[in-house]
Amino acid sequence: MIGRVTQSSMARDFLGHVQSLQARSAQAQNHVQTQKRILAPSDDPGGVARATRLRSEDADLRALHETVGFGLSVLGAQDGALGEASSLLTRAREIAAQTANGLTTPAQKQAAAAEVAEIERSLITLGNTTIGGRHVFGGLATGDAPFVSLDDVAFDANNPYGGPTDPFSVRTGQDGATTRLTTPGDEVFGDSILALENLRQTLLAGNAPTAELDALATAADGLSLEHASVGARSRALADRGQEILGSIQTAREEIGEIEDVDLVEAILDLQRLQSALEATLVSGQTLQQSIVDYVRL
Amino acid sequence: MAIFAPLSIGRSALLAHERALATTGQNIANAETPGYRRQTADFAAQGGSQGFGVRVIGVEQSIDRFLEAQLLRQQSFSAGAEMRRDILDRVQELFPVEGPSVGGALDAFWSAAQRLADRPEDLAVRGDLLSRAEGLAARIRQTAGGLARQQREVDARLVGEAEEVNGQLGKIAALNDQIVGAEAGGERANELRDQRAAALLEVAKHLEVRATERGNGSLDVQLESSGVSLVIGGDIQKLVVDAGPTNGLDGNPLSSVGVRLTSGVVIDIPGSPGGAVGSLLTLRDVDLVDRAGELDDFALALRDSVNAVQTDPAATDLDGLVGTELFAATGAGDFAVTLSDPRGIAAASGTNSGDNTNALALLDVRDAPQATLGSATLSDYYSSVQASAGSAARLAFDESTVEAAAQSSLLGRRDAVSAVSLEEEFTDLIRFQRGFQAAAQLISVSDGLLGDLMGLVRG
Repeated sequence: MIGRVTQSSMARDFLGHVQSLQARSAQAQNHVQTQKRILAPSDDPGGVARATRLRSEDADLRALHETVGFGLSVLGAQDGALGEASSLLTRAREIAAQTANGLTTPAQKQAAAAEVAEIERSLITLGNTTIGGRHVFGGLATGDAPFVSLDDVAFDANNPYGGPTDPFSVRTGQDGATTRLTTPGDEVFGDSILALENLRQTLLAGNAPTAELDALATAADGLSLEHASVGARSRALADRGQEILGSIQTAREEIGEIEDVDLVEAILDLQRLQSALEATLVSGQTLQQSIVDYVRL
Repeated sequence: MAIFAPLSIGRSALLAHERALATTGQNIANAETPGYRRQTADFAAQGGSQGFGVRVIGVEQSIDRFLEAQLLRQQSFSAGAEMRRDILDRVQELFPVEGPSVGGALDAFWSAAQRLADRPEDLAVRGDLLSRAEGLAARIRQTAGGLARQQREVDARLVGEAEEVNGQLGKIAALNDQIVGAEAGGERANELRDQRAAALLEVAKHLEVRATERGNGSLDVQLESSGVSLVIGGDIQKLVVDAGPTNGLDGNPLSSVGVRLTSGVVIDIPGSPGGAVGSLLTLRDVDLVDRAGELDDFALALRDSVNAVQTDPAATDLDGLVGTELFAATGAGDFAVTLSDPRGIAAASGTNSGDNTNALALLDVRDAPQATLGSATLSDYYSSVQASAGSAARLAFDESTVEAAAQSSLLGRRDAVSAVSLEEEFTDLIRFQRGFQAAAQLISVSDGLLGDLMGLVRG
């Protein structure tokens, strides 16, 4: 209820309205220029807390995605090596089959032994495959090669592997989710190397390697199984990578929904406030009306 | 007894209307004087068994005492709320939405830890983790430093507030003496009272006060919450700001605000003094301390959880040695990285330097609920501290808006009672001008009649 009106009360009211509109107009301008509705935590404390948590998640997801890429490259290197190893073992089994019949001459057996030695050396080299200086069958450690060379005096076919015995895993999700990248080398190639060495020794001794046929078959199956496991883990990791990309997208969209301003709405708001401001300023003319202009004393 | 009744009546009318015109003139002249309250000349007819004319028996101010008291209280609320809004707005800037923040630095640290778990033997990756740790430590220290600096600034403001209050109290006391002297003759000293009321309103911005007027016109002022006197007649009891018993976040003493009594003893102000001073004290001792405490809790939880992994007895660094602590701190203010050699990061468990088991354990800390943080993860806790700072600022902003509206409304109501309306004054000018002219006519007529009378006597 307006009682007695005075110049000072009219001026105060007018200024109050103008300043309030100016402040709201400045805020609206800010929104249009930055396209953000949140510029400080006080603008929306709950929203800011959510956005900060989402940003944190986004950073983690991006780091996880890098890990997925790394994991895929390690598994890819293993896949290649295991493929070649399988071929080598196939050739060794052919040699064993051929020399197991009684028709092979001692000289042929010696030649076969030499070829098996080469196969062994190649397999050992595959066992020492590296990626970025790290041994893919040696727990991804750097340093000395995990498999001892055939020509080394320390070579022992029963124990050819001197590397780490624990698998290497990487973090691929929150709350402790990991993916195993490596299998210890002795588990992958141990059987194969022993079988090949036994084959070689049998041939060098001039005997028929009938006993070694089964051992070679078992070793070959073992390699196949590991190869399949690598393939499966690789596919799972690739799927996880896609999932992560999706989550990153979602997180960014959610952040946008919280923080971004609807530009059309913001511009309309600004226009509305500026019209109101103009109207208020025009109404200021009434401040000038006074009895002083009309009364001549 | 007048010589000639109509003449003396006319004279009284002339003087009264002249006084009224002067009062109207005073109103017009002071229409825009802050704190000026409109004055009205009170006419009273004089007479006993017959009329003796008119007298201005006093010039009254249009004042609603209840409204004035309400306005005094509201001034304290508004000033206090504005102070809170100001300071809390600055505090929330330490927890920004975008740009460098503790939260962002923590995320970068965890990303570097993720890379370490992939490549534990890579010196560049290890170096990167250390540098992210340094970045995080720096950001924590900076935020803590910002809070400490804010607290120190708030504390320093108390000195300025006390000075302003004491200045105004001095004015009130001096005006008390002047008013008592001026009103001893029986007339109210309106202009002096206006000045005193304005000084009191100024004091109310800084402290919540109440004022009681004595019979002789002197105004006593006391603190509202505790009744401690600030002005007693012509004497004042000043606010004193001295180094107090507690230290601030920066380790240096905080001030305590007291009142120096006329006896010379300085007493503490019991309870909250209200107004801007009250707000400053609450901000300094509660809000800022709470925020700093939360940041300390965060820093110590970070230190302990990361160090526990780094110094695990089964964990080894690149040279096969047990790890040493990564972070050292007594709180957020001195949070620092104590490991300088990247080789010292204990990423492995056991003798294989290519192992990453301990690096994976470090990553588990990211998602681990922290017992000292109410089972929140480190990241979630930081975001809740940020939200707290934002909520406090939001609340302060809203409260200050509400108080400002209340103040504006009260000022409007006071204006309706006490402010000058030029239309009113001009109308009064016309009235009193006519009255003056009529009184002059009466004198002229009386003079003529006297002349006629003299003529009769002279013959």
